[in-house]
Amino acid sequence: MNGGWYVYGVADGDREIDEPKGGVRLVREGRVAAIVGPVDLCEFDQLDERLNDLAWLEQKARAHEAVLDELVGEGAVVPLRFGAIYRRPDEVVALLRDRGEEFEADLDRVRGRIELGVKGFVDRTALENTLARERVATAAGGGSGRAYLERRRVQREIADEASAILAEAARTAHERLLELSVAGTVSRPHSRELSGRPEEMFLNVAYLVQAKDESLREEVAALGRAYAPLALTFEVTGPWPPYSFVGSASREHAAQ
Amino acid sequence: MSVLERPQLEPEVTLVELVDRVLNKGVVLTGDITLSVAGVDLVYVGLRLLLASASTFDRLQQEEAA
Repeated sequence: MNGGWYVYGVADGDREIDEPKGGVRLVREGRVAAIVGPVDLCEFDQLDERLNDLAWLEQKARAHEAVLDELVGEGAVVPLRFGAIYRRPDEVVALLRDRGEEFEADLDRVRGRIELGVKGFVDRTALENTLARERVATAAGGGSGRAYLERRRVQREIADEASAILAEAARTAHERLLELSVAGTVSRPHSRELSGRPEEMFLNVAYLVQAKDESLREEVAALGRAYAPLALTFEVTGPWPPYSFVGSASREHAAQ
Repeated sequence: MSVLERPQLEPEVTLVELVDRVLNKGVVLTGDITLSVAGVDLVYVGLRLLLASASTFDRLQQEEAA
């Protein structure tokens, strides 16, 4: 075995792991501790190719998440990005020494907090049908060429109107949810191919909230009820380790 | 407690959702590290292709079974 140490995340220096699984342990330095586990480096060689192996990716990504999930329930955990491996524990100590202050700041930001993901979906056909029905009184009848052109024009207008409604719904939802959270981030919605859903995703956001606070979930349910007539649905995922709110990239979001 | 107020059952975490976080977010370690992940777009391309080919594969299997 060509051994290495996979670093899952960073916790407070006085943290304990009650029932360590899979050899997961803490490497401490100063006021922070790295959550590490032994791995065989051979399993991670030719990483670019491995990452495109769906079965491999799923197994490793779920293992990464499982380790953090165990620890995120109590105390603060700063999740690291997938696939950070050092050969020796003293290299992990050096990492903690180099970036200790940054990790401490991240730990302070996420302590007592969790990440919730929110996604908005639309059945666009249903939405456009609803908009079309609202116009039915003014629509031109008959089968002439002129009427055909008129119908095409109306269809384009309805499609534009639907897009405007989605943009407005996304903006409204994000504003209302941001008010109930410590911070929020907006990501690109997944394509239908990637999400594997018949509906179109129009909103993909994440929020950092107090661990026991249910108000964001309640607000998402309220948004769902409000937008149901327009064929919009909202989903909450999580609680997640606060992946989206750590590291230098999160500074600007946290400042919002 | 009404039906709407009852906590919803969590849908199972999809691979895409998980990959979106573990590969796109979290603190990035660079510098003197033995191994680290870069080039996330590559992952997405691969994942998209694999998902597409998986569904094609399922369809083929169904056709064979029929």
